Amino acid sequence: MQNRRDFIQNAFLAMGGLSLPGIIPNLSAAQMSVANPGNPPMRFIFMHRGNGLFPKSVVPPTLGPQEQALEDKNLPFEVDLDRHQLPDWMGPLEKHKANLTILQGLSGKMCTTGHHSWCSSLGAYMANERLSSIKWATVDFELAKLFPSPLEHIELACFPTGGGNARGSLDGIAKGFSARGPQQPNYAFGCPKIAVDEIFKSVANTKDGQIKYQLERKVLEFAAANQSGLAQHLQGIERNKVGNYANSIEDIREKNRKVDLMADVVRQYIPKLDDKYLNKDMSTFDRQIGHVEVLLASLISGLTNVAAFTVDELGHEYTGITGMEKEKVNMHDVGHGKVIAGVDALEIRHRTNTHHMTLVDRIVTRLKGVREGNGTMFDNTMIFYFPDNGETHHSHGTEYPFIVMAGSNTKLNLGRRYMRLPYWGTVGHKTLGNWYTTLLNVNGNPIKHYGALDPALKGDQTGLIKELVI
Amino acid sequence: MRKRSPINRVVRILLKLGFETSPVGGQGDYLDFRNCEFSPYDGLITITCQSVLTIIALASVVLPAAAGPGTTMVLPKEAGNLLETYCYDCHDDTTQKGDIRLDNLSELSLTARLDLMNRMQEKVYFEEMPPKKKKTQPTDEERKRLLAWISEDLHANNASKLEDKLRYPGYGNAIDHGKLFSGAIKDAPYTPARRWLVSPQIFEQRVLDVFKLEGKDRTQPMYGVTNPFVQPDTSGVRDYDTNLLDGGSLLVMMTNAEWISTKQIRPARVKAGEIQATDFPDPKDKWSPKETPAVFESIILKKSVPTDKEMTDAIETQFDRVLRRKPTDVELKKYLDLTRSTIAIGGNTEGLQKMLEAVLLESEFLYRLEFGAGSADLSGRKMLSPREGAYSISYALGDRGPDAALINAAQSGKLVSKEDYKREVERLLQDKTYYSGQIDPSVSGMHLTSHVTSHPKIVRFFREFFGYPNATKVFKDTERGGGIYRNPDRGTLASPGFMVDEADRVVDWLLQKDQNLFENLLTTDEFFVYHDKTDEEGAKIIKEWREVYEALKNTDWRNDAQGVLDKNIDFIKARSSMRPLDATRPGELKNFMLYFQESFGQGRTPFTTVPWAHGYTFHHAPFYGLPSTPDIGRYGSWKSTQFDPKVGNGKFWDYPVKQPFKIANRKGILSHPAWLIAHSKNTQNDPVTRGRWVREKLLAGRVPDIPITVDAVIPENHEKTLRSRLEVKTQEPECMKCHQFMNPLGLPFEIFDDFGRYRIEEFLEYPEKVVGKTADQRLNVYQTLPVNAHGALDSTGDPKLDGDVTDALDMIAKLAKSVRARQSIIRYAFRFYMGRNEMLSDSKTLIDADKAYVGSGGSFKAVIVSLLTSDSFIYRK
Repeated sequence: MQNRRDFIQNAFLAMGGLSLPGIIPNLSAAQMSVANPGNPPMRFIFMHRGNGLFPKSVVPPTLGPQEQALEDKNLPFEVDLDRHQLPDWMGPLEKHKANLTILQGLSGKMCTTGHHSWCSSLGAYMANERLSSIKWATVDFELAKLFPSPLEHIELACFPTGGGNARGSLDGIAKGFSARGPQQPNYAFGCPKIAVDEIFKSVANTKDGQIKYQLERKVLEFAAANQSGLAQHLQGIERNKVGNYANSIEDIREKNRKVDLMADVVRQYIPKLDDKYLNKDMSTFDRQIGHVEVLLASLISGLTNVAAFTVDELGHEYTGITGMEKEKVNMHDVGHGKVIAGVDALEIRHRTNTHHMTLVDRIVTRLKGVREGNGTMFDNTMIFYFPDNGETHHSHGTEYPFIVMAGSNTKLNLGRRYMRLPYWGTVGHKTLGNWYTTLLNVNGNPIKHYGALDPALKGDQTGLIKELVI
Repeated sequence: MRKRSPINRVVRILLKLGFETSPVGGQGDYLDFRNCEFSPYDGLITITCQSVLTIIALASVVLPAAAGPGTTMVLPKEAGNLLETYCYDCHDDTTQKGDIRLDNLSELSLTARLDLMNRMQEKVYFEEMPPKKKKTQPTDEERKRLLAWISEDLHANNASKLEDKLRYPGYGNAIDHGKLFSGAIKDAPYTPARRWLVSPQIFEQRVLDVFKLEGKDRTQPMYGVTNPFVQPDTSGVRDYDTNLLDGGSLLVMMTNAEWISTKQIRPARVKAGEIQATDFPDPKDKWSPKETPAVFESIILKKSVPTDKEMTDAIETQFDRVLRRKPTDVELKKYLDLTRSTIAIGGNTEGLQKMLEAVLLESEFLYRLEFGAGSADLSGRKMLSPREGAYSISYALGDRGPDAALINAAQSGKLVSKEDYKREVERLLQDKTYYSGQIDPSVSGMHLTSHVTSHPKIVRFFREFFGYPNATKVFKDTERGGGIYRNPDRGTLASPGFMVDEADRVVDWLLQKDQNLFENLLTTDEFFVYHDKTDEEGAKIIKEWREVYEALKNTDWRNDAQGVLDKNIDFIKARSSMRPLDATRPGELKNFMLYFQESFGQGRTPFTTVPWAHGYTFHHAPFYGLPSTPDIGRYGSWKSTQFDPKVGNGKFWDYPVKQPFKIANRKGILSHPAWLIAHSKNTQNDPVTRGRWVREKLLAGRVPDIPITVDAVIPENHEKTLRSRLEVKTQEPECMKCHQFMNPLGLPFEIFDDFGRYRIEEFLEYPEKVVGKTADQRLNVYQTLPVNAHGALDSTGDPKLDGDVTDALDMIAKLAKSVRARQSIIRYAFRFYMGRNEMLSDSKTLIDADKAYVGSGGSFKAVIVSLLTSDSFIYRK
C-alpha cells in the first residue's frame, strides 16, 4: 500500500519520460467529495474506441467445448475468469482479474452505428453531427451529477481528423463525444498539453497562463456583479430570467473558488509531461499515454470524478503502433481488413488493442496505489472500455462488448466474470440502456430507464440488469 | 352512516351555527382554532376564541389531540359550504375518490395541504371538478369565490403554482374559448413588460450582426458558435417569453464569446504581427471577418496604454454591435474600469478582448427587451418605444433586426401610432428579399436543400402549429418501412427530412395563394413529392428525354450502345438533360434507354432525376401511397450495362412533372406522412397523441395532464388491432376521464399506419402471424384485420358538425368548416406573434384577427397585420 507520497514518487519513476512533483498533498480526494461526505466519491472512466470491437476477440481462449458451443451460438452463459486465460491482447489486465468483468451481449441498436456514432454510445440514442440529435445528457454526465466535483467532468480525445466525423484540430478543444444535456455537446481536449493548460490553469506556472487565468476571473467577476445587480431590481419571473444567469456565473465562480482552495493539492498533480507528450508530432500511442496521465492527475487531485476518453475514432490517423511506429495508419482501411505496410489488419487491431489494455492497466495500477479511506482509490472506481459503434467496422449495434474494471465499492457483482447475456431479440436480452440504467440506479439515480428504446425489440426492455446488482 | 373526522364534524357544526373559522388575528365572530383544547374524556370541547369563549357539548364524540400546523388554515364559512355542497360527496373520509379527501384540510401538514390546495385550484379553475356529469354544478360566481379562497391560502404561503403554469404553452387553452370570442370582454389589451429570450434563429442573426455581415456573407456558418438555447419540440408554439437562461446557456455563451471576440480582433492581430494570416489554430475554421473595427484595431496596434477616449470608443462600438445601443453613463464607467484593469493585466490585445467578451456575456444579448416607454394611458399601459417597436415588428416577421427603413421610421418619429405599425408591417410583408431564406436550414443536407421562401418565419408558425417537423425525431424500424425508410443519419435527415421539406412546400404554396388558408391547409389534396426541379425545368427535361427516346427507340441501342451513341452524339449532346454524356459512356445511354422504355414506352412519365445519379436518395413515394421509382440497383451506375429486372417490380410511378398534384386518400397536412410520422410511435400509430393534437390545436380544448400513476402502455394482444387494444386499456372510467377527449379524435387516423401509408387492413406484426414474403423475398407479409376508423367530433360549437365521423378524412372535412377550428388557429397565431398565452384581456385582439381573416377571404397576412397592429402587440404594462 502506498500513500500519496509513494504514489507520486513511484509515478515519477514509472513514467520514465513523464514526471510528477513529489510533494505530499494536503487534501485527499475523499475530502473533496461534495455529494457523499464521509464516503469517498465513486469515479467513472469511460474509454471508448472506434472501428468496432469484435465480440469474439474478448472471449477467453480456454473455454470448454460446451461453453464454446454456447459462445458460438450467442447463447447466455457465464464463466469464472480465475479458471480461464484472457485473450492474448488483454494480457496487461491479467494481474487485475479480480476486478475484471467481460460483459458480452449488450446491444445498442437504438444508437447510430456504422462508421461513426457521435454521442450515441454514451447517450444510448441515435446521435449524429447535428446538435438537435443530442437528446439528453450522456451517461457519464449523469453519473458526474451524482458525484459532484469542481470540474464536474473532463473529456479527452484522440480526435478524428478524417472520415465523416472530422474535428478540425487534432490538438485543440473541439466538440467531444459526451453531452451535458439536450443539444449541449461537451468539449474535449485533443492533446495532453491543452488539457493540462485548461484543467490546471488555476495553478498555471507560466506567466502567460497566470495572466490568462487572471483575465478569465476578472471577466467572470465583472459579469457576475453586472447581472446580479440587474436581477436585484426585478421581480418574479423577470427576476428569474436574469437571476438564473447571474447565479450560473456565481456557480462557476464558486467552483473556481473551490479549485483555488485546492491550489496546494492541485499544484502537486500538474503532470509535468516530457517533451514527447507535448510535441505536435507525438504519436497516437504517446498521445494516449499523455491523456491517461492527465486523466489520472485530474482524478487523484479531486478536480473531477468522471472522465470520458476517446481512445481513438475511425477518422483518427494512427501512429506509433508497435513495430510500425512511423507508419500513418488509416483505421478505415484497417476496418476493411487491408494489409498496411505488410501488417495484416487483424494484427494491427491486436497491437492497438494491446496498447489500450496497457492504458487500462496504467490507470488501475496507479489508482490502486493511492490510499483512500480504508482502501485505495481504485476501490471507488469503475473503468469501462468499449467500442463507440458496436461489434465491427460496419456495425449494426447488435453487440457492444464491455471490458469493465471495477473496485470493491461499486455495489455491483463484478470481478472475475465473463458473462454472455441473451442475444439481441431473445428473451432476457439487455441493451446499453439497461446497462446504464444499472449504473445510475445503484449510484443513486432512480431513473426507470436511461436511453432510447430499440423499436425492433418486442416487450418491456426497460430497467436495470438485476443479475449484476448485489 | 358516514364517518367524519371529529374535528371536521366540529367545524361543520360551527359553520351551521353561523360561525366562521379563522386563524389568530381574525376579526369579528371567529373561532380561533389555535387555542382549541380538545378533551378526550368527557366529550366536551373547549374553544378559546379572541372574541368569544364557547363551550359546546358534543355528546359521544371522542376527539383527537391537537392537530398540527395545518390547523391555522382559513376556512371561511362560505368556502366550507361550497365544499360541503359540491365536493364532500366524493371526497370525504368515507368515499375518498381518487384517494382525495377534502374534509380534513386543517389536519394536514402544511406541505400536504398546499399540495392538495394546488391540485384543487387547478381542478376548480379548469372546471374539471365537480365532474361534468354531476347535476349540481357551482355557478360561475361560486366557482370564483371558491377559487379566491384557495388562491388566498396558497398565496399567503407563497405556494401557488397555477399562475406560473398558465404562462406556459401547455396551458394556452386554459382561457375559456367562448368568453374570449364573446365580445363581452372590454378590457384594454396589453402584454406585460418583459424580457423575451431570443429564438435560436434570432440568436444566429445577432451573431452575424456583431460582424456587420451583409448579403451572401450572412449565410456564413459561424463554426465556433453553438446555439445556447433548447426550445421544446412538441407540436405548438415554442418561442415563449417564459423561456429562461440557465447554467447550460452560460457555459455555451462563454465559449461563444471567446470565439466571437477572437474572430473580431483577428484581422488587427494579423496587421500587428501577433499572428500570421495563415495561422489558424483549427484548420477547419478558417473564416475571418475582413477587418477589425477601427477603434479596436487602433488599440491593438498601439504600443502604449490606450487613452480613456480610445477605450470608451471601443466600448461604445462593442455595445452597438452586440446590444445595438449606446451604453448608459453607469455602464460606460463600469466597462471603462474593467477595460483599464484587463489591459493592465494582459496588455492591449488581451485586455481589449476581455472587454469584448464581457459585453457578449451580457444577458441582454440574449433577450429582446420590451418595456414600453413614455407616459401610461388610463389603463396603465405604455406604448413600445419606437426602437422597441421596430425590433418587435422585425422579429415578428423574420429573425433579423429591423431594416434601414424601419430604423429610419423609428428614429424619425414615424413609429408612434397603429397606422405607422400597419404601414411598416405591410411594407415588410411585401418585401420579398429582406427576410428571404431557407425555411429550415437544419433540414438541408446531402441531396436536399430546404425550400427557400420570402418569409420563412411565417411558414415556421405552421410548422410549429402542426408539428410535422418532428417526423425527423421518430426513429423507425427500416424493415417495417418496406425496407425503404431511411432514418436520419450523418449529413442527412433522410426519408423524414424529405417528407418534412415536402410538407413545407405545401404550406408555402398555400401561403403564397393566401386565400382560405386554414381551410386549404386542412383539406388540400394536392402535394409535392420528389419535386426537385421547377415545373419548367421538369417539362424541359421530359421534352428532351422524349425526343431522345423517340429518335433512338428503334435503333439497336440494346446490343450496340456505343454505335448508336457515336452516330447520334451531336443530337444527344444538344440536350443538356442527358447529363454530360459523351462518346465514352455507352453504358449510360443504355441506362437512359432502359429507363425511357420502362416509362415512355409504357405510357408513363419518368422521374426527372435518374436513379443512377450520384447520391440518389428518392425512396419515400410509397409512404404517400404512390408507386416507387426504380431502385438504384436496377440499372446500376452510369458505367453499367448490367440491367437487372429483378430489382424492383417494374411498375413505376408515372411522375407528375407539374406539382403540386392530387393524391388519393389524403386531405391536407393532417394526412401528410410527415405529420402522421411525427405523431406516431417508433413501431405503431399513436392515436392518443393525434387525438390530443386535434383537441388542443383545432378545438381549443384541454386534456388534463397524465397522472403519474397511470401505466400508459397499450397491452400486447396478437389477435387484436391497436384500436381494440387501446379501447380495452382505456375503457375504465378513470382512464376515460382523459381519453374521452382524445380517442374519438385520434382513432379516425387509423386509416393510416405509422409511416403515413393509407390502409384499410391492419397488419398483425407478430412472428406467428407471418403468412408469406413479398415478391422480392425481403419482407414479411402478415395476417390482417380490417381497420375501424370511426370516431366522433365534439365541442365544435356547431351541432351540424358534432357527431360521428367515419374516418380522418370525414373528420378533417368537418373541422375545416368549423368556426371553432378557425378561431383556435387564430389563438395559436396570437401566441406565436406575442410569445405568450392569451389573457381574457386579449379578447379584442383575437376577435379583430378573426374578423380580419374572414373579411379578407382567409388571408393569413391579414391576420398578421391585425395582430401586429393590436394593442396586445403595441402596449406594455
